Amino acid sequence: MPLVNVPEPTWREKLKRFFMVDLIEGLKLTLKFNVGALTDKDSVKGYGIYTEQYPSVRPQVAPRFHGAPRLNMDPETHESLCIACNLCALACPEDCIDVIPMDIEIMVAGKPRKKKVLDEFIFDTSRCMFCALCQEACPTACLELTQEFELATYSRAGFVWNREMLEQGRESRKFEA
Amino acid sequence: MTKYALFAPPNFIDALLLRVFAPETVNYVVWPFIQIGAVVTAVAVWALYASYLERKISAFMQARLGPMRVGKWGLLQPIADAVKLLTKEDMLPDKADPYIFRYAPYISVAATFITFAVVPFAPDWGVITDVNIGLLFILSVSSVGVLALILARWSSNSKYALLGGLRSSAQMVSYELAMGLSLIGPLMLARTLSMSGIVAAQAADGPLFYIFYQPLAFLLFLVAGIAENNRAPFDLPEAESELVAGFHTEYSGMRWSLFFMAEYAAMVVVSAVATVVFLGGWYFPGVRWLAGGFNNLYVLLSLLVFIVKMAVLLYVYFWLRWTFPRYRYDQLMDIGWKWLIPASLLNIVWTGIAVFTVQALDGWSGFQTIESFRRGVDLTWQGKAIMVAFGGVGVLLAGAMLATINRGSRDFNLKKQRRQVRLVAPPKGAPAVAATAAATATE
Repeated sequence: MPLVNVPEPTWREKLKRFFMVDLIEGLKLTLKFNVGALTDKDSVKGYGIYTEQYPSVRPQVAPRFHGAPRLNMDPETHESLCIACNLCALACPEDCIDVIPMDIEIMVAGKPRKKKVLDEFIFDTSRCMFCALCQEACPTACLELTQEFELATYSRAGFVWNREMLEQGRESRKFEA
Repeated sequence: MTKYALFAPPNFIDALLLRVFAPETVNYVVWPFIQIGAVVTAVAVWALYASYLERKISAFMQARLGPMRVGKWGLLQPIADAVKLLTKEDMLPDKADPYIFRYAPYISVAATFITFAVVPFAPDWGVITDVNIGLLFILSVSSVGVLALILARWSSNSKYALLGGLRSSAQMVSYELAMGLSLIGPLMLARTLSMSGIVAAQAADGPLFYIFYQPLAFLLFLVAGIAENNRAPFDLPEAESELVAGFHTEYSGMRWSLFFMAEYAAMVVVSAVATVVFLGGWYFPGVRWLAGGFNNLYVLLSLLVFIVKMAVLLYVYFWLRWTFPRYRYDQLMDIGWKWLIPASLLNIVWTGIAVFTVQALDGWSGFQTIESFRRGVDLTWQGKAIMVAFGGVGVLLAGAMLATINRGSRDFNLKKQRRQVRLVAPPKGAPAVAATAAATATE
């Protein structure tokens, strides 16, 4: 078995070892970061705080990020854009969407007609894998996966969102900076 | 007590006490109790907030923020921690020795807190007691702390605690030697063991502290002191990655926090000794002039000087801890026995030569090096220059000597370690198939 061939240290290396230059350089680096954390808050020179200050400063998610679902409403009439077509439920590979329609009587040109509208919309976020196939299936751009990412709850039942939660958004505590 | 218009309260309290008690009682019983109370409170608060500082400084060095949630900048975090520790269950392991297990933390805390009795925080009323063997007292009492660690590890009946305790006792025994020996050099200059006496000797000698005459001794004392406190990079006794938590593995709640407190208090003790012996204690040129004759102001300013000097050393503790990785156990023993002890022995001899040279040159053809021996060695500027030169040469000399002694040592020489590592992989160029073909051909 051969020995690993390492060249003899040069005089320069020996002197560096003798005066413990490497140790001093290490100390210099940590001191630089310590001073930088106190003076250079926004890490302009690269020696400040690097970590994400999540609850006080919310992170910028990617533009294509899929988060919490939302049912969009008509901005003028404030009526749901959903036409209860059930296409989203059919598109969902996880089968986590439940569209419950109901029939209402409306008058069209003086005659009573039946119209199918949305009664309840159940979205199980615990089973959702945020693929956004439902969003693509939606013909009226009603169902949308937003950039919201805080989906944690204290109970399993809290993961199941109903129509109200989907339309109004869920209440969550936001920390101030 | 020349003028007491400014900062009258101490004198006012003194006058009040003298109405009730006899002067002897006031001077030797009541005032010491007040001083002890103040020091114990200050050290306890320091121990509380040292954990905060440790977390903050480590966070800053790692480009993080550290505790920020409890209070402004997390300033109330130590109090939350203390409440948690106080309300935690006091666990007693099965088959542990109940009495020793319970009393070991108290010994540890008491041993470190007693040493503060002889530390001169400031002149006049800043000294609790001025024992004429002060330095010896500190060294001996702080080594009682080892006993607490040994008792804790033995009584907790746990393998990790046992290993941690073994390591800590071996480490403390080896580093106490270097620590004691490195203090002899400055003592040869100060000519006294009294802590106040050492400060007075440096004050009498003028603006240079003993760190300039004894840089080698200062470095040795600092390294040995860090090792003595079981702090990183010498925190082998409580190496988390190997021994869980070392000797206090089985401790929880308040008893664990007593060990914690003892560790931080011991840090203060070591840096106080380093401040007194090497950095001139409470003395700083110009402070007396700044106080302008107000005695109490002078004492308070001196106290501030002492605290600032100590804070620098305490920062060095944190700084080193979050910069250097832990040493291997054999490296630790090597540093103690093969590097620090020879260097401290050399320092004694070299200081002796320096003092002898300065004395021999004094009065030689009108050349004056020593002004007086009244309170330690008081040197003229020529004498100071000679001593500083001796100090600087001493560091290089010690480095050369250590390099010579340890030239064959592989412990810190990674190049040498690598040079002698044998390759495990088989040599290239001769595939296994060719070997079998050659073997069949010969058959």
